[in-house]
Amino acid sequence: MFRSLATKAYSSTARCLKTNSGFPGALMNQRNMSKHSTETDEEFDARYEAYFNRKDIDGWELRKAMNDLTTMDLVPEPKLISAALRACRRVNDYALAVRYLEAIKYKCGNRVKEIYPYILQEIRPTLNELGISTPEEMGYDKPELALKNVDDIH
Amino acid sequence: MALTRRAFTILKLTSNQSLCRLTRNASAHSKIGDREVVGFGFNGEASYVDRMDCPMPAVRFRSNSKEIQALKEKEKNDWKNLTLDEKKKLYRASFCQTFAEIEAPTGEWKSVVGVSLLGVSLALWIYIWMVKFVYAPLPKTCSEEAKAAQLQRMIDVRANPVYGLPSKWDYEKETWKS
Repeated sequence: MFRSLATKAYSSTARCLKTNSGFPGALMNQRNMSKHSTETDEEFDARYEAYFNRKDIDGWELRKAMNDLTTMDLVPEPKLISAALRACRRVNDYALAVRYLEAIKYKCGNRVKEIYPYILQEIRPTLNELGISTPEEMGYDKPELALKNVDDIH
Repeated sequence: MALTRRAFTILKLTSNQSLCRLTRNASAHSKIGDREVVGFGFNGEASYVDRMDCPMPAVRFRSNSKEIQALKEKEKNDWKNLTLDEKKKLYRASFCQTFAEIEAPTGEWKSVVGVSLLGVSLALWIYIWMVKFVYAPLPKTCSEEAKAAQLQRMIDVRANPVYGLPSKWDYEKETWKS
């Protein structure tokens, strides 16, 4: 009888511990506070490069990473951009590659004359290898089509 | 009787969880037609917006027509074989406006300035009309002679002689101090 009681007590305690183990705050007395990222720039680049280089990356993940990178206060390294362009090639989405180059140019901000040519020069081998035209080569550095105001359509 | 039975059926149907979910999904997607959902977009909703801070919208801009499907097949091969025209078609199938087009000035400021100036001129005309027909004439103290007399009086009574206006008046030469 004592043994059965002990087993029961053990199993309930174990269940308790098990449920707690998913929630580190309860056991480790750790406060859920924000803290500064300790990730270095190199680690950040490596993380995103590995993400883009994943063989089974799909369009959804690719777009998400591109959108995320666009919201950050940075211009991605050329090697990151190359990896992203290769990912575009793997998911067979040409438009995405050109759109991302446009976004990169936009991210250069008011130093676009310094940064953008450098990036183009660095990713030129990838562009040539994949057959991607830059937005400039496609004539997208200037407005091509005018958009009709939606209020005037009907 | 038939009506109540129908109402009962509808009630039963709407209480069906899976059907509810189905109709909700259908309504969320009803606005995008048969356009392909390809990403998260900026808030996870299946919508198309050209935003420079969030360049990849959740859906493609154009629906998957026969022509675009054929292009997509070609896109699977080497991109060097694509002509510039095909590249542009592919871009426009996914996106509506290029960044340069999003940034292009709309010229809207002209109409804004024009309408504002119309408002200003209307206010001026109202003011002129008020002066002409509503306000009483200005009091006689506002005439040039009355103001000159007022100044002379201030000098004569030496109002605030240390810091004030008469401190700048030379009482011996009867002129303003230079």
